[in-house]
Amino acid sequence: MALTLMKGSEAIAEAAIRAGARYFFGYPITPQTEIPEYMSARMPEVGGCFLQAESEVAAINMVYGAGGTGARVITSSSSPGVSLKQEGISYCAGANVPCVIINVMRGGPGLGNIQASQGDYFQGTKGGGNGDYHLLTFAPSSVQEFIDLMMVAYDKAEYYRIPVLFLADGIIAQMMEPVELPEMVDFKIDPEKKPWACTGWQPGDDPEKRGIINSIYIDTESLAVHNDELQAMYKTVIENEQQWEEFNCEGADYIITAFGTVARIAKSAITELKAQGINVGLIRPITVWPFPYDAIKKVVAQDSVKAVLDVELNEGQMLEDVKLAIGGAKDVDFFGHCGSQMPTTDEIVAKILSMKEGK
Amino acid sequence: MKKVKVLIGNYGSGKSELALNFATQAAARGEKTELIDLDMVNTYFRLTERGKMVEQKEIRLVSPNFACGGIETLSLPAEVASAFVLDWDTVIFDVGGDDAGSTALGRYHKDFMELEPGSLEVLNVVNIRRPLASTLEKITILQEKMQIHSRLQITGMVNNTNLATMTSVNELRDGYELLKEVSEQTGIPVAYTTGKKEFLDAFLAENPDPKYVGTPIAIDMFMHRDWDSFIKYGLNTTNPKKEIY
Repeated sequence: MALTLMKGSEAIAEAAIRAGARYFFGYPITPQTEIPEYMSARMPEVGGCFLQAESEVAAINMVYGAGGTGARVITSSSSPGVSLKQEGISYCAGANVPCVIINVMRGGPGLGNIQASQGDYFQGTKGGGNGDYHLLTFAPSSVQEFIDLMMVAYDKAEYYRIPVLFLADGIIAQMMEPVELPEMVDFKIDPEKKPWACTGWQPGDDPEKRGIINSIYIDTESLAVHNDELQAMYKTVIENEQQWEEFNCEGADYIITAFGTVARIAKSAITELKAQGINVGLIRPITVWPFPYDAIKKVVAQDSVKAVLDVELNEGQMLEDVKLAIGGAKDVDFFGHCGSQMPTTDEIVAKILSMKEGK
Repeated sequence: MKKVKVLIGNYGSGKSELALNFATQAAARGEKTELIDLDMVNTYFRLTERGKMVEQKEIRLVSPNFACGGIETLSLPAEVASAFVLDWDTVIFDVGGDDAGSTALGRYHKDFMELEPGSLEVLNVVNIRRPLASTLEKITILQEKMQIHSRLQITGMVNNTNLATMTSVNELRDGYELLKEVSEQTGIPVAYTTGKKEFLDAFLAENPDPKYVGTPIAIDMFMHRDWDSFIKYGLNTTNPKKEIY
């Protein structure tokens, strides 16, 4: 298979199309405007629809509508734009509408800036909108991994009827790497497989076959039943969908926890530390919801592990989940920047060295 | 005679990389050189990020207002006029991607038309490994659009086909084959073939038809950062704590 030189944003868009996405609704915002730009050129070629909505709020509601027909739908934005989408995301989650939402995170809070960030971890994993819901949330650390996860995202979204969120930092969307693209998936809406979808019921048709996409349950009991069903589904997602990567963890003296591109930087630091005779491992959640609590607990429980360092491009958000996973069994330290300054290899090395010296 | 090179082309085709190479090579020959960052589209991966290096090589750099300030709206600086008014040996315009980027050139139509005949080269930089420049049809359609938007005739194409760190001689060879077809169809010649020395030498050793190679120029990597150099130097060069290349 031929390699092609692609910017992260372009690769994300192409992968979504190859995974069957035929509807893109969005509104431009740096640093991910190349996604709608690419979609605008590519969707007509595959018989799909690109629509630039009048706002992020409109775009996510178009996702809600098109997703409700069983089609494979996608929207993308960056942090402030994803904040605007939260109401619609909660509706999609409440109505079990499968869809894919991309957040190419930039500096915040508020308008922040247009450089890379991981500041929306809380928003993505703890529910940015209202109600008791979760999104299956992937945090890829390379362009290729983003493509590979996208190729399974719709299958998972449809299997569980859960919206899928990609939390990517601006680096992934902007960097250009040679990538290998998978073949186009032959996707068609199959009403038999999606009896819930709105596929054109008319008065006189079997009332049982009428799909209704809805998140309002007026009476107390039916809302309780609906929430119980949602929670039961989340439980199976937690049981089946946790993904993580372990790097050099066996017998490590220290464990670094990091996600996204920061984890890639941490790997370089680990290689440098190894050359200095210090054995450091990395555990990288690939799904940040469901969070791999048990995997982290197990790695950190090794006798060799003295302490844990969480590194993020924010002021310490995943840190809270790491602490929950470890439950006080070992010390947890943090290193990170906000304001979009990438933590460097040297900084991570220096931090581990200072932990070793007990500072 | 003043030589003016205008570099246009698909996003990520290597315009900034070539602009830096053309400028540094001209300066090294002792030519009085001006480099104009006319990318009004993309806020990232601009040649202004290598501003310190450019100035060290005694090349005058003109950048859009607020470039690299993390600001999304760029505006044309008045100093672009210096390209036409002052006495340079070589002026290089690094223009934004696609027809959207080429639009910024229209503003200078009158100035370009008043240049001495033969002094202007308008070059379409092509990397056929980029998905939106990978076929004859895509290249010719974009070429046509860029000519309309820039109000300039493209005088030549540049075969700059590469796969970043994974480049081999195959890239230049495949680029050569495709640009040959484009050239035959459009009548626009291949003016240059550019690449890292090792791949360029290997390609030339295959005796391609010089008509579709143009002038071969070996280039250095100034712009592109692989993962290792990225984590060493970073991306955000406005960060005062970090070394600027």
